[in-house]
Amino acid sequence: MEDLSQAAKKVAAFVQTLTTTGGMRLKYRITAGAGASDPDGLERRDIYVELAGPDAPQLTERNGEGLRALEHIAAKILRLEPEEHDRISFDANGFKAERARDLRESAEDAAERVRETNRPYSFPPMSSRERRMLHMALSEQTDLRTESSGEGRDRFVVLYPADYQGTVRAPRRDDRAGFGRGRGGRGGGGRSGGGRGGYGRRY
Amino acid sequence: MSQAVQSEPTGPVENMRNLVLEIARALVDKPDEVVVDTLEDDGATVLQLRVAVGDVGKVIGKQGRTARSLRTILGAASMKLQHRFALDIVEEDEDEGDVE
Repeated sequence: MEDLSQAAKKVAAFVQTLTTTGGMRLKYRITAGAGASDPDGLERRDIYVELAGPDAPQLTERNGEGLRALEHIAAKILRLEPEEHDRISFDANGFKAERARDLRESAEDAAERVRETNRPYSFPPMSSRERRMLHMALSEQTDLRTESSGEGRDRFVVLYPADYQGTVRAPRRDDRAGFGRGRGGRGGGGRSGGGRGGYGRRY
Repeated sequence: MSQAVQSEPTGPVENMRNLVLEIARALVDKPDEVVVDTLEDDGATVLQLRVAVGDVGKVIGKQGRTARSLRTILGAASMKLQHRFALDIVEEDEDEGDVE
């Protein structure tokens, strides 16, 4: 990101397009620089957009599909490389902050479980951003390592003991009905906020 | 789309057309070449987005993710308008249609 204040202006112009031309009833606060940083360190964000207002709830529907769309477009407007996309982050009514807490909790549960069993643990499929947040949440556990497996919307994080030999492969498509259930329903912190329990298959 | 007729956009249709236009202009390298036409088709408004040949990838994105994000935003903005909108990204030299 070449110039932070320039980038923040572009993001502000994008949000204003939504609220003026797009007619969306949103209140917004844009923070850039140190004030935007993620206190949990799961995102490396430089620009943080917090949305509220009458139309904010529809951005968090379908597991935050609208927020992911805004983040993706904003990252593209800023010409960020894919691995830099978490430098810009959108939230609405604290939805993502809550998801981040859930992810941290499921990361902690999974770490405990892998240490107990000495077996890999597969998280449910998640969006690229949430997978990155999991990698970040577990990056300091030197006795464990994370990798992603599977393709596209079914891509998921696997947590391994650091010295584990072998790789957990994605279940075949026909196995999907059983996917997740057989894993004891753990790691599914998103079950709290009723109606948006499922993970982001539709990213 | 044989029934489609060119329409003169007004009100909400004009707003959604401009929404796509403004966002697309921010995404591409040649904003002056972004055009959005509107077609009425079976009760829905089809927004046809055209960009410079070298910019097509910028509005579609890897695995169609940018196009999908644009459609999600269009859907969110048009939700309360009681009118259906669709977004077509027109690729010149190929059959027009949904690129996803």
